[in-house]
Amino acid sequence: MTTTIPRHASADDPRVLLDEEIGVFEPVPPYPPRTEREAEFYTLRDGEMFLNMGPQHPSTHGVLRIVLKLDGERVVDLDPVLGYLHRGVEKLCENADYHQTICYTDPLEYVSALFNEWAPCLAFEKLMDVEVPPRAEYIRVLSSELLRIASHALFMGWMALDLGGLTPILWSFIERDEIVDMLSALTGARMLFNYFRIGGVNGDLNHEFMSRLGDWMSRATEQHAANIGLLNENEIFVRRMRGLGTLDTATAIRMCMTGPNLRATGLPFDIRRAHPYSVYPELEFDIPTRTEGDCLARYLLRVDEIKQSLRIIDQCLHQMPDGPVMAKLPRLLRPRPGRAYGAVEGPRGQYAVYAVSDGTDQPFRFRIHDPSFIHLQAVGTLMPGNLVADAMAVMASLDPIMGGVDK
Amino acid sequence: MTAVSRAWGRLTLPGKVVFTIVPLLVLLTIALVVAIGLFGTLVVDILIANIGIVRFVVAVTIILLLSPPIAFVIIYMEMKIIALMNLRLGPDRVGPWGTLLSTVHGLKVLMKEDFTPTGADAVVFTWAPVVVFASTIMAVLVIPFAPGLFGQDMNIALLYFFAVGGLTIVGLLMAGWSSFNKYSLLGGLRSAAQIVSYEIPLTLSVVGLLILAGTMSLNQLVELQGPHLDAATGQMTGAWFTDWFVFRQPLGFLIFFIAATAEGNRTPFDLTEADSEIVAGFGTEYSGMRFGFFYFAEYINVFVLSALTVVLFLGGWNAPFDINGIFAWLNSVQSVVTFPTAFAWDVNPAAVGLPLLFIVALAPVLATLILGAPFYLLRSSTKWWHAILIGFVLFNVLVVGLLLVWAYVNFEWAAGLFWFLGKTFAFVYLFVWLRGTLPRVRIDQLMGFAWKWLLPASLLNLFVTAAAVLVIGG
Amino acid sequence: MDRALRRRLEARFSDALTGPVRQRHDETEIRIGPGSVSEVLRALHDEPELSFQMLLDLTAVDTGTQMQVVYHLWSPASGDWLRVIADGLSRDDPRVPSVVALWPGAEWQEREAYDMFGVTFEGNRDLRRIYMPPDYTSFPLRKDFFLADDAARSPGAGVQHMERTEAPVGAPKEALVRRTNA
Repeated sequence: MTTTIPRHASADDPRVLLDEEIGVFEPVPPYPPRTEREAEFYTLRDGEMFLNMGPQHPSTHGVLRIVLKLDGERVVDLDPVLGYLHRGVEKLCENADYHQTICYTDPLEYVSALFNEWAPCLAFEKLMDVEVPPRAEYIRVLSSELLRIASHALFMGWMALDLGGLTPILWSFIERDEIVDMLSALTGARMLFNYFRIGGVNGDLNHEFMSRLGDWMSRATEQHAANIGLLNENEIFVRRMRGLGTLDTATAIRMCMTGPNLRATGLPFDIRRAHPYSVYPELEFDIPTRTEGDCLARYLLRVDEIKQSLRIIDQCLHQMPDGPVMAKLPRLLRPRPGRAYGAVEGPRGQYAVYAVSDGTDQPFRFRIHDPSFIHLQAVGTLMPGNLVADAMAVMASLDPIMGGVDK
Repeated sequence: MTAVSRAWGRLTLPGKVVFTIVPLLVLLTIALVVAIGLFGTLVVDILIANIGIVRFVVAVTIILLLSPPIAFVIIYMEMKIIALMNLRLGPDRVGPWGTLLSTVHGLKVLMKEDFTPTGADAVVFTWAPVVVFASTIMAVLVIPFAPGLFGQDMNIALLYFFAVGGLTIVGLLMAGWSSFNKYSLLGGLRSAAQIVSYEIPLTLSVVGLLILAGTMSLNQLVELQGPHLDAATGQMTGAWFTDWFVFRQPLGFLIFFIAATAEGNRTPFDLTEADSEIVAGFGTEYSGMRFGFFYFAEYINVFVLSALTVVLFLGGWNAPFDINGIFAWLNSVQSVVTFPTAFAWDVNPAAVGLPLLFIVALAPVLATLILGAPFYLLRSSTKWWHAILIGFVLFNVLVVGLLLVWAYVNFEWAAGLFWFLGKTFAFVYLFVWLRGTLPRVRIDQLMGFAWKWLLPASLLNLFVTAAAVLVIGG
Repeated sequence: MDRALRRRLEARFSDALTGPVRQRHDETEIRIGPGSVSEVLRALHDEPELSFQMLLDLTAVDTGTQMQVVYHLWSPASGDWLRVIADGLSRDDPRVPSVVALWPGAEWQEREAYDMFGVTFEGNRDLRRIYMPPDYTSFPLRKDFFLADDAARSPGAGVQHMERTEAPVGAPKEALVRRTNA
């Protein structure tokens, strides 16, 4: 059967025949809609158009594709398409030992990798009734709080970059670089640390880390104040972010949000206080909360959290006990059948692991609950009604990391 | 195969280039000499008869030839200064401190693939960058660089400038629409709205100035801010910076500067090319030299807007202080040292005579040794040939500096050019500084600012100026 | 407080529970059948003595013999954690009512459970694949998922691989490896 393919001459060179129709690339799926929502989204009303913010875009926080339905410059609706960074971590961990799952979970929210390791460690320690030595707990808290500061610093820079300011992200990277260098002295790696182990941490604190940490702590407060001074009082910055993407507590709870995004609406829900783990009950820190629930509140809240993290690090350094940093565990772990849920308060929210064990040496089910996945859902509630520029700012203020979203 | 073709085949590519170009050059030179000999006087007579056109053509050629270097300098400034503000290094490999990088970028842009996207309107797509570039270059024509150094002195120069500057919007709309790309469309429409909105405060803020000055010619506006014969009093006045129009129209200056930032699509008003939202705005589908045209046009526009700010409000090519006046006052106050009031530095090399030969031969060597010696003696890691190189470079810098000072002192146009370029590049630095520091405003905030704040402010400026002229001058 | 919670749960949901209320460390766990999911979760959400307002996690588990859907809830009032396991779903056609009405944020989590296991959530308006491509035919996290079959069915099955399996034409017969007798 012969079919003539419609061809047309290329605009650059008339001798070249391109065998496709000249058509506008419409980001509409090439099959009939499978669900009601898809059908509703992919039908255009009068005056609307689709805009595809594809997987390659300067301002999606990773590889994310969002199909926007626009009315002029106003966003009417959006459909995020995920899966570009899906690596099948849950399935991989089902085929790995309990110890090996730690390094699979590292690259999920790669910006704050230690929290990704902590949650499975917590879950497995509950599953196996492992007692973690107190020194290891303090080291875990110390390194995680440092990484929380690094993650929030990156958020501040990234937020400003999405609004158009070129300078703050580079200053944030200076801050983050110092912290990450410190952690590389401690763990050996700069981004994917592979440091926590079931029952403790991999190595004790060393002299280089402690000297760098002391050095940094003495400068940290002024440096932080200088960095935020660039943005907090900038009229353009504040006017762009105030009143944008407002969430109230009821909506946030119904969207299953946690972390700074929920605390910015007024509910002081922090897993470190609501359901304490590790040595957080012995540490004194406040839970910053704001009530406005807009982008500016989320931004300022993370700035406040950096201060609280500095407090925690200070207390850890003073209260650090001596002792081993790793519990005595066999190399091959065979917990008895059971289920455990380990949740930590990551920089983005509740980062949890639900582990099901069937008595063998590999996890039977290793479920990762990631906060970025949930918060990206909220983008569908917050973006419509805003202009395209604001839409990007709203998404940036929710701080999603695509590694965690796509697992 | 002949011997010639075999020899040709054995040459490498640079050899082939040399052996093609050198004979061609020789032939061209011979042809040129013959042509000048045969037709020289005839051509010169024709040119002298039409000196106006000739001057215009020469001016336009110089403007076209000098625009890329100016753009390169501004591009390099932007890259380096923003980098230093970001606490990073910026370009520092290509050329000393990376100064040749923007030239290399210009060459790279010439070598990229030039394509038209499928579905784009080819004619409009091709001509859009030309329109933008042409309108920007046309605006350079009226800018007075120095006394005697300008493209064309029209008595409606300011009006011409605004008229021509408004043509860029046509080009941007052409680019946005013809690219067949929604990002370009958004960018083009945003730019249309922005530039049209900010044209009005831009022009209105200058009308108060026109009332005060009474002329639209940019040359005359600059002269009014420098030493000139005051029509009312009949005396020479206005040689200090306090006579610059910025002190008589401060609000006008402010509005003009803000509107100029928006006209030039510069941060904080750069949402037409907001690369965190709409990739590259109207220029998304452009690559190669077409994108280069947009890029050049933007930076020449920055230069033009800075130049216009300087010309209108900051005295153009006038120095901020009156050196002759200072010297005359010093002479009148004391009689110990006599300062020359009409300063001129006449250097007559012929008066030296035969020793000139020795000076020309020995001065470089001696200066190199003298200037390089401290580096060799004081810093142990400097090798002797390092020191000689440094000495030679410093000697050259010294000679060039002396030459510039001689030109400044002797030629009015050199002094004027120095001050004009200094002030213009100070404003270019200000534009770059704003880009490095501020985030972007949103389109509705931008429009609101233009229509609700800048337009009433410029009208207020106009009314107050007119009232003041009526009350005080009348 | 944990004992009190256990007694409250046993009293309130005595007919819906299919197993004992288990407690270990700081977690409480109840098992219910798929049919009582919407009633039990709504009761847990709405009733003031229970008030499990926040849904912390929603996922599915394939036990090899049956499917489970697992909900993790948290109560702001009492600070308790609760795990609700909806057990007994068939592996061929697992169906469970959706909780999107209570928590719209569960929509994507249910989509993920559908994508990975094939569990149909009745009432979810947008039950389509979220991670895998839309024309994918298997459910990856099921215990009977076999990657080779899946790869053979995938659209890329006829793709020429870029890695060579034989040596190039002019390669020497013996490998260029340094051998010593030392």
